[in-house]
Amino acid sequence: MRYSRATTILLLVASLSFARRSYAQDAAPSDREMIQQLVQQVKALQEKVTVLESQQRASGPSNADTTPQPASTPIPQAADNNAQPASLLEELHELRGIQWRGFGEVDYKVLNQRTPELGTYGFVPGSHGNFYTGDFDLLLTARINDKASVLSEIAFGEGEAQTFSVDLERVLFNYDYNDHLRMSFGRYHTGIGYYNLAFHSGTWLQTTADRPLVMEFAHDGGVLPTQAVGLSFTGAIPSGRLGLNYVAEYGSSDTELHNLAGDATDDEENGNHINVGLFARPESIPGLQIGGSIYHDRISDRSHGSYARLGQTIVNGHIVYIRGGIEFLNEGFLIRHAYQQSSTVYNMPAFYSQISKQFHRVRPFFRYQYINANEGGFLEEFVLRHGPSFGVRYDFNDSVAFKTQLDHTLRKGQPDLNGLHLQLAFTF
Amino acid sequence: MQTTLIVVWVAISLAGVARLPTAAAQSGAVAVVVNEKNPVTNLSTSELRKLFAGEKHSWTGGVPVKLFVRAPGAYERVVLLKLLGMSESAYKQYWTAQVFRGEAQTEPLALFSNGMQKEALTVYPGAVALVIVQDVKPHMKVVRVDGHLPGETGYPLH
Repeated sequence: MRYSRATTILLLVASLSFARRSYAQDAAPSDREMIQQLVQQVKALQEKVTVLESQQRASGPSNADTTPQPASTPIPQAADNNAQPASLLEELHELRGIQWRGFGEVDYKVLNQRTPELGTYGFVPGSHGNFYTGDFDLLLTARINDKASVLSEIAFGEGEAQTFSVDLERVLFNYDYNDHLRMSFGRYHTGIGYYNLAFHSGTWLQTTADRPLVMEFAHDGGVLPTQAVGLSFTGAIPSGRLGLNYVAEYGSSDTELHNLAGDATDDEENGNHINVGLFARPESIPGLQIGGSIYHDRISDRSHGSYARLGQTIVNGHIVYIRGGIEFLNEGFLIRHAYQQSSTVYNMPAFYSQISKQFHRVRPFFRYQYINANEGGFLEEFVLRHGPSFGVRYDFNDSVAFKTQLDHTLRKGQPDLNGLHLQLAFTF
Repeated sequence: MQTTLIVVWVAISLAGVARLPTAAAQSGAVAVVVNEKNPVTNLSTSELRKLFAGEKHSWTGGVPVKLFVRAPGAYERVVLLKLLGMSESAYKQYWTAQVFRGEAQTEPLALFSNGMQKEALTVYPGAVALVIVQDVKPHMKVVRVDGHLPGETGYPLH
């Protein structure tokens, strides 16, 4: 008998071992995530058993000797009667409470100059290469009910001399009425173009190590009002196979614009902005998005008198294709500043084009960017800048990536700027 | 006696491994199933792609869409990735991005059995899932795709 029991145990263990090995071969994705999902479901089943047991106890001794029913039996009844087991199943399938997600990065950037420059982040004046941690992002989401949810993004950003500041990048109360009307209230990233809404502050999401020059956040010296507090509406427009969607925003955008060197800020004292956008995702070409937006606001320019007011209009057009490992991003901008007290108008064109292709874990990329600010204009310190960036992103797994990027920037009236940017980006 | 047992054990184990359903070995049509009270009867391939990419958030009438997918390794998962044109890794990154963008509250719950999918479909009016045709159970409503039912010529989900 003992021999037989030992043999049975041996057979079971060996069979499980074989089965596990076979399953692991089939399930190519990371075992860790699979284990996590299994643990999650085991916990859910344990909760289900606990509740069922408590229900059985509560039903009294008269039911104690009732023949046990298969687990699946009560479920159709639950659906028909909308009784308690339905809510029990909801508990099993819903994620309650606050969900966390983190994004982090560790960077090393070296330039062939010793003065700070836009987008060099923790660049220390006097050095030409240094480490920094960029933004450490915490994304918190919580579901209130089927239609309402809350999203917040908190960024711990690195400043000079390894000082850190906390920024509430986004805090949004979302209400999805239906596919045609999805509302958000709070602080959001403005829907000027594609990049700002697609990548937000998550460096890990980006193929490249940094944002395109024109898409840099305003608090990092960028030219666009990238954040605002107000109302945002988006949704699908009935348009058949054209797949039209809209974005409409009304709010107060960034009021402080950091200069290139990061040692001063201009208060734009802006009014409320309005931004409307339209984009199409045609069914005939999955992965393609074509769209544009118009943004308008009134801001102040202190460099032109004590209170020079100007109208700021930003027109965007974009063509994006993402499918089958190919990422092709193209965006063009026209930033127009019209002074109220005079007939002076400045038009600043900018664009970037980025292409990459995934080969297993490796994704080489190439980007060309261009920005041309008028002399004497509101953003004159940017002057004419353009140049290529190229590099490689290597994904160690689904959560950790290493990027190497070389930049060459031509600047009007200044020497060319060369940079090497190494970045370890991760999510957890 | 011991040798005989070992031989039998090896034979059983190998037979068991050989009979394990694997994504690679399985094939055939995969049905799109919804809650039986869902009025939808037909979806185009592009509508289906939008559904499982999280771009369509509610059914006609405003009932929120609830996505249920099979865990990695299942044949339905292979068909899902083929539909979306993504690798497993790209799928995970895509949903991380969708949540980060606020386009989705969470990524779709990955279930380890069709029994669990059946439970979910029964409970949620807006539930939708992919199930191998042979595993379609009562209370699962099969939806036509591009006007075709699984098994008919031109049915796209294989």
